[in-house]
Amino acid sequence: MQMTDRDEERIAEGRFGRTVVLLMSLGFFAILACGIAAAIAMLRSQDRYSWVAHTYEVERAVTGTRLAVEEMRSARRGIMLRMGPGMQDNYEAAVAALGNHVAEIRTLTRDNPEQQRNVVEMARRVARFDAMIRRSVGPDADLGPEAEEERQRAAAGVVGVSEKMLAEERRLLAEREGQLQFAIRLFFVVFTAAVIVLVVVAAGSILIIRRYTRELVKSRAALRLLNEDLEGAVRERTIDLQRANDEIQRFAYIVSHDLRSPLVNVLGFTGELEAANKVLGAQVERIESEAPELLSADAKLAAQEDLPEAIGFIRSSTQKMDRLINAILRLSREGRRSITPEPIDMTAMATGVADSLRHRSDELGAEIHVVAPLPELVSDRLAVEQILSNLTENAVKYLKPGRPGRIEIRGRREGLRVLIEVADNGRGIDPRDHDRVFDLFRRSGVQDQPGEGIGLAHVRALAYRIGGTIGVRSALGEGAVFTVNLPVKFNGEQGTLT
Amino acid sequence: MNSQQAVTIVMIEDDEGHARLIEKNIRRAGIYNPIKHFLDGTSALGFLYDAPDGPTHSGPALILLDLNLPDMSGTDILARIKGEGPLKRAPVVVLTTTDDKIEIQRCYDLGCNVYITKPVNYESFADAIRQLGLFLSVIQVPDVVED
Repeated sequence: MQMTDRDEERIAEGRFGRTVVLLMSLGFFAILACGIAAAIAMLRSQDRYSWVAHTYEVERAVTGTRLAVEEMRSARRGIMLRMGPGMQDNYEAAVAALGNHVAEIRTLTRDNPEQQRNVVEMARRVARFDAMIRRSVGPDADLGPEAEEERQRAAAGVVGVSEKMLAEERRLLAEREGQLQFAIRLFFVVFTAAVIVLVVVAAGSILIIRRYTRELVKSRAALRLLNEDLEGAVRERTIDLQRANDEIQRFAYIVSHDLRSPLVNVLGFTGELEAANKVLGAQVERIESEAPELLSADAKLAAQEDLPEAIGFIRSSTQKMDRLINAILRLSREGRRSITPEPIDMTAMATGVADSLRHRSDELGAEIHVVAPLPELVSDRLAVEQILSNLTENAVKYLKPGRPGRIEIRGRREGLRVLIEVADNGRGIDPRDHDRVFDLFRRSGVQDQPGEGIGLAHVRALAYRIGGTIGVRSALGEGAVFTVNLPVKFNGEQGTLT
Repeated sequence: MNSQQAVTIVMIEDDEGHARLIEKNIRRAGIYNPIKHFLDGTSALGFLYDAPDGPTHSGPALILLDLNLPDMSGTDILARIKGEGPLKRAPVVVLTTTDDKIEIQRCYDLGCNVYITKPVNYESFADAIRQLGLFLSVIQVPDVVED
């Protein structure tokens, strides 16, 4: 179920991503189209303004030619009426101006073959008109009305050409105006379309994002609920575990406690039996010495051998049982003891442990060497000391006969853990028994030392209690290395449970 | 009143075997005071406080108390005896299977005179009883009996 949920989520996320990219590129293209249309319209309108200016310039030049023609005619009249010597100069200036205007028009309309033709036509007509006037003021002037009319026509011809040119310019302007209008219309169409696309894109995006956000918020709320639930579940489980642990501790305590009660009777009455048997034994001895014929061999055997033997076995077995029960009791009590972490100087502690065993190790010819400095740690002093002294004591206890014992207590730090090692060159432990030795009442190898198989079980329980582990590396006959792995800083039981 | 009145030993012990062993050892130690045995706390308290031949109304007593009783906790009985009342000076020997330090401490705090762990080393038990026996022989009749 969860798998398909996750798949659905992933598909929805992918769809969302794709849609957003699509919408964004759509919007981008709309803006791009808008920009291109605007650029075209702008270029067109700029173009148009320069052409309008151009047209005006041409118009001005053309108008200039008409003015020059008028000036030429009035200057001729002045010459004819002998109004002054300046008139000839005036005429020459007007001719020059006319020539300038024509040249100007020629330059301005270089791109237009139609106008160029008109300019050539105009230049030709101007030249003719100029020649006519010059002839009319000369000595052999024909001042008749026909010649006058011809001059009028030549002037009109010049003006006519200029009119034609002006019309041509106005036509071109109108044509360009139309192009500009089209560009502006195009721009507006593109712009409107882009705006519509943008609005649609924006609305779509907002819709999708809102829906997606709503889903996100929903899933986040669900996640938070799950999280809180998880914390609650962990807390509940922790309480359950603690309760179960307490229950086991209490169980071990009550069982061991109540088992001792019948044992007291067995031990006590065995004592009574022993005492009674002593009396009986004395009686049997007396009968044996005073009236041996009264004593049967069976009775003698029962009083002197069977009874003491039976009592001896009962006593040794019940004593052993008492020790075992005491061990369980001690373990359960250890489990109930409150742990108080504090900084521990491990070097001093190891030296102390070695000193406390000095007497025994000297007796056995063994040497305990503490490799200083040992890493410091924060933990329960009593537990660590118990672990260290149990391991060292074991090392002293299980030396290999005929080999001088050498025991080393060393340690190192690895990240947030401290490894304390107790290494010996003793008899070693068969690898098959490496797990077994840590079990309660289990031992390994030759059973030539007193003990109930409690020490290492106790050490392991203690190590677990303070957040640590214990392991052993060993081969038979080659010594053993017990490694205790402890946290550098033990935060108490809350720290390990949550 | 006769100040040489015999001290009664009141034994509160639910295990018959234990009771028998204790009695035997007391006798073996040469103490022949009368022993009253109770199997539970209720009847023992009834005898201690209400019985006409009980220690409240006649004669001094030494109390041997087991802490694990079927009907109530031995420490409650100890607290009641050693609290305010006619029996607060009566010597109490606590006998139990527990050798828990905290519990021992608690019993001494409540006023127990001797604490003995079972299974007892009978020699030392007899010694303790003998000493208590000597102690008992010099006990004065409690003041409360005067009124």
